[in-house]
Amino acid sequence: MSVQSMESGTRTKGRPAHARGDLIQDFGPAVALVALVAIFAMVSPQFRTVSNLQNVLDSAAVLAVVTVGITFVLLMGSIDLSATGVMAACALSVSLLVANTRNSLDLGTAGVVLAILMGGAFGLLSGLVFVVLKVPSFMTTLGVAAIGIGVATVLFSGIQPSINDESLLGWASNRVLGFTQMTILAAICVIAGWAIQRYTRLGRYASAIGGGEEVLALSGVRVGPYKVAVFALAGCFYGLAAAMVTSQLGSGIVQAGGDYTFAAITAAVVGGTLLSGGRGGVLHSTVGVLIITVLANGLILIGVSPYVQRGVQGLIVVIAVGAAAWPLRRRMTVVK
Amino acid sequence: MLIGQVRNETNPYEAAWLDGGDAYAKQVGLTQQRLTYGGESTKQQEQIRQVLATGDAACTVLNVLPNGDSDTLPIVKAAQDAGAWVVTQWNKPGDVNVSDYDHWISHLTYNGKESGKQIAEAMFAQMGGKGNIVALQGILDTAAAKDRFAGLKEALAANPGITLLDDQTADFSRDKALAVTKTLLTKHGDKINGIWTANDDMALGALQALDAAGKTGVAVAGIDAVPEAVQAVSDGKMTATVSSDGPWQGAIGLAIGYCAATGQLDVASLSPEKRAFFAKQFLITKDNAADFLTPKADPADFDCANVFNRVVGPIQ
Amino acid sequence: MSEAQIDPRIVLEVRDLSKRYPGVVALDRVSLHVKRHEVIGLAGENGAGKSTLLKALVGLVQPDSGSIEVRGTPVHVQNVADAARHGIGMVFQEQSLVPNISAAENILLGCEGRAVRAGIFRTRTLRRLAQAQLDKIGCTVDPGARTETLTFAERQMVEIAKVLGIEERTSVEPIILLDEPTSVLEPEEVEILFGQIQRLREHASVIFVSHRLDEVMRVSDRVYVLRGGQVAGEVDPSRAVPSQLHELMIGTADTGNHYHEDLQARTPPHRPRIVVDSLSGDGFHDVSIDVRQGEIVAIAGVHGSGREDLCRALFGAGQIISGEVTLDGSSLSLTSPRSAVAAGIGYVPAERKVEGMVPVLSVAQNMTLARTELVCRGPLLDHRREAQLVDAWIERLNIRTPSRNTGLGRLSGGNQQKVVLARWLLGDGLKVLLLDHPTRGLDVGAKSEVYLLMRNLANSGVAILLLADSLEEAIAMSDRVFVMNDGEVVSCVPSPPGAKPEPIEIVREMV
Repeated sequence: MSVQSMESGTRTKGRPAHARGDLIQDFGPAVALVALVAIFAMVSPQFRTVSNLQNVLDSAAVLAVVTVGITFVLLMGSIDLSATGVMAACALSVSLLVANTRNSLDLGTAGVVLAILMGGAFGLLSGLVFVVLKVPSFMTTLGVAAIGIGVATVLFSGIQPSINDESLLGWASNRVLGFTQMTILAAICVIAGWAIQRYTRLGRYASAIGGGEEVLALSGVRVGPYKVAVFALAGCFYGLAAAMVTSQLGSGIVQAGGDYTFAAITAAVVGGTLLSGGRGGVLHSTVGVLIITVLANGLILIGVSPYVQRGVQGLIVVIAVGAAAWPLRRRMTVVK
Repeated sequence: MLIGQVRNETNPYEAAWLDGGDAYAKQVGLTQQRLTYGGESTKQQEQIRQVLATGDAACTVLNVLPNGDSDTLPIVKAAQDAGAWVVTQWNKPGDVNVSDYDHWISHLTYNGKESGKQIAEAMFAQMGGKGNIVALQGILDTAAAKDRFAGLKEALAANPGITLLDDQTADFSRDKALAVTKTLLTKHGDKINGIWTANDDMALGALQALDAAGKTGVAVAGIDAVPEAVQAVSDGKMTATVSSDGPWQGAIGLAIGYCAATGQLDVASLSPEKRAFFAKQFLITKDNAADFLTPKADPADFDCANVFNRVVGPIQ
Repeated sequence: MSEAQIDPRIVLEVRDLSKRYPGVVALDRVSLHVKRHEVIGLAGENGAGKSTLLKALVGLVQPDSGSIEVRGTPVHVQNVADAARHGIGMVFQEQSLVPNISAAENILLGCEGRAVRAGIFRTRTLRRLAQAQLDKIGCTVDPGARTETLTFAERQMVEIAKVLGIEERTSVEPIILLDEPTSVLEPEEVEILFGQIQRLREHASVIFVSHRLDEVMRVSDRVYVLRGGQVAGEVDPSRAVPSQLHELMIGTADTGNHYHEDLQARTPPHRPRIVVDSLSGDGFHDVSIDVRQGEIVAIAGVHGSGREDLCRALFGAGQIISGEVTLDGSSLSLTSPRSAVAAGIGYVPAERKVEGMVPVLSVAQNMTLARTELVCRGPLLDHRREAQLVDAWIERLNIRTPSRNTGLGRLSGGNQQKVVLARWLLGDGLKVLLLDHPTRGLDVGAKSEVYLLMRNLANSGVAILLLADSLEEAIAMSDRVFVMNDGEVVSCVPSPPGAKPEPIEIVREMV
């Protein structure tokens, strides 16, 4: 009775290991970075000096650390808008814990560690509210950012604490192999972040949650604790970044967080870590950080007017994000 | 009731403003209510409304820093309707007239072009009248940034021996100024003899960059007179900055208001110049830095006869 | 009818399992049993309770009453992990693998065991453990491959390998539930899957669910037929005939009028409605066909023949490079679906869930989607007119829905398809209807209703172009069958009522 049944659908079959779309996503940003560097190096003799290279990496250090942290949250498919606020609170904390002009504490490295832990605590708060109270991450982290700024303001209480701790100040000025200590620290963070993402269960599950959370739940995995842990991990990176910024500024200010939240998310997305989750990673995001920093540096060196720089940077971001989303387009796809 | 309202107390300039207000209040046997709105326009309006709703409006004096130009009019109207007395500082829309509102006593601000020019001239003097400079502008879209840069341009026009090598923006921010200055040093190296910045935060960032690069002998100037900068000027690391005298600002608004509320000042009879004016700014260089290290206000400034002593001219 | 209570060969026994949802009885005292190394088939229409039964067995759904016994011991399955502990694992209908991690990680997801120490992945151990699972079914997929790069068939096998992992954790032979595993597979891949199932049975027991009767019959030792939440019967596939199954499934004997051939016009229609002349586009070239008023024309072809592309192009949803299309004599410019709709062409796409309907919108909203001007007064929606129109069609097409405002996603497949069809029936302007696999995923009863609808439409003058699910359907329903191969039309076979061609004649042209 069996009648020959014809093909039963128009779904796509499996693709080879690296389909064209994936290639663009994975290597596109890296190629773009190399292209940028090449162009600037050709056009501006000062760009291609060793000392400028060092400058670029030094200016990228803090952003790189924040971006590593936020990458884990993005991999999970959530978003974290708390970096600026958490950095503010941790910056003030660290500046009051190491030798400073406002009190007589002198905890040195322990002070930095405490700041990192404080960042982790803020992250923990974000994670718990997100998982237990089921408030969307967008709102949760905005709230935590506000709490962070509030804590920072209270700690500041009108008098700016200046840092006297030599070793912390040294992060920004002492040089190792030609780079500031901070840059080396940032490089270590990137490597550590990559290792966590690739080899630890926390990192792999973060990516898996972004790619298919229901599947994990169906496989009997309790997803909640991992989500909380990811936010806490991100917070720790923000805490470290706060210490780095404080070292740069030489004092603790409430504006220590700057606009790092937005910059880090932009860097991550430009590098290929999509907001939808499950794609990209620490290395991708770091490429994004470098693209942004090289761009800022290069545009000045080749003499692009400051009035136009913002526009150019914005254009590059749009192109980068468009290239990343390009393989996902289909005719008659609805774009929201 | 005396009210001083600024954005936030984490900014040392604004904190000093409020402190000055406290001192004045004490001087007349009252206390000041310190309000901060964290840079949010809606919050500022809400605070004003709340304050006007409670207490005796006719005896309320408001010394306010509006968040932006567009925030000024609602505040003034609210005060006018309630019968309270208001003095505004820094931000006001150009097409609005103070004299249209008899409870809006004065609006005072500072001449950005003048301050930009003054620090430039101080720098050029230190450079011996010739050499190259770079400029770090503020947020390009703000009046402050534009005015101050215009002042620099004027000074440059008058000093042909000085060349502007490059101008970039560091958005009034310290760590941006650090990064941008480092890049400029890479680009122009030893050719830079002076760095003009539109505010002290950026100047301090530039100083750090110079330090990190081990460069000395570069003149750096800023505006705002934040304590760290005044110290730097005093130590010779910075060439100049400009003070608008925060504590004086915090007190004078209250004083003008108090005098009007107590009838010692007849608002209707004030000349236009006194209704909207540029107040005196103080160029701070090494010579007078010591005076400004601990800014103090002179109580005599706030006698009703003297409140308009620092009027430099009407707002153009 | 249950076997002896103490039959040691029985690994799974379900007794009087019931589950009720508000308004509907999903399972009504279902009893069945599975013996060791047996493959049990579960057949039934959509909504008969097959999925619910599987979900109850695996802990996704808690039954209201009844019992489940695994190897003689009553168990209470609370969740999927619990089911695994009892040796029950399910391969889900919608593929449930995380696409962006490796196959090995998916196989061991949630039970990495020795592959993860102190929170750190040990890649070699991971591969080894995953490979062991894959070897059980002779699958040659690279465990390190990222899951989304695998074909559907390969992913299916990875899922089976994953489910087999239960063995490692429980030391009993697993009971594997396969929920519609063939619905996304090509015919060759289905063969491979059947091979897997034979291997599986060597050390597991299997429950195989499919709505494709021929598959269920082929692969199972025994088949239970569910109807309306109850066990309608138990069948021995080696002795049963499809019509027996039909009868059990829909409750009435299959009169053989499934396709309503009695309604097919005796004299072939002759007035051309839509004429396609030397049309070339993305996926097809130099195609010339025509559909006459009142005619149903089928296009047969294998995957890649270009028939779907042609269909979409005729609706303005595909690219046309050259050629001409005329409708009732006037030339059409098919640049977008809007132009097609304006010309009186309707289209029912194959991917119903994704392209045919908007699940969150109501029945009424879906139905009026293409012709909103019929229910609008000026710029405003006229609710009363909408209600009247929609209710009329619900009645006419016998669409089973709680109300016109029910979300379309809540209806069964067949009723959803009727709503999608109704969309083109509103108003009078329909001249041509393009149907792309219109009965896919529908149960026997719903299919028959759709066929009836098609017959009535054709008889009222609409020209219908049909891309059928099966050759049998194409031949039975159409007046003529065009065959496409590799983007071109290679032949046209007439299919008048009473003189239907044999499938083999058409297959010859397709390959």
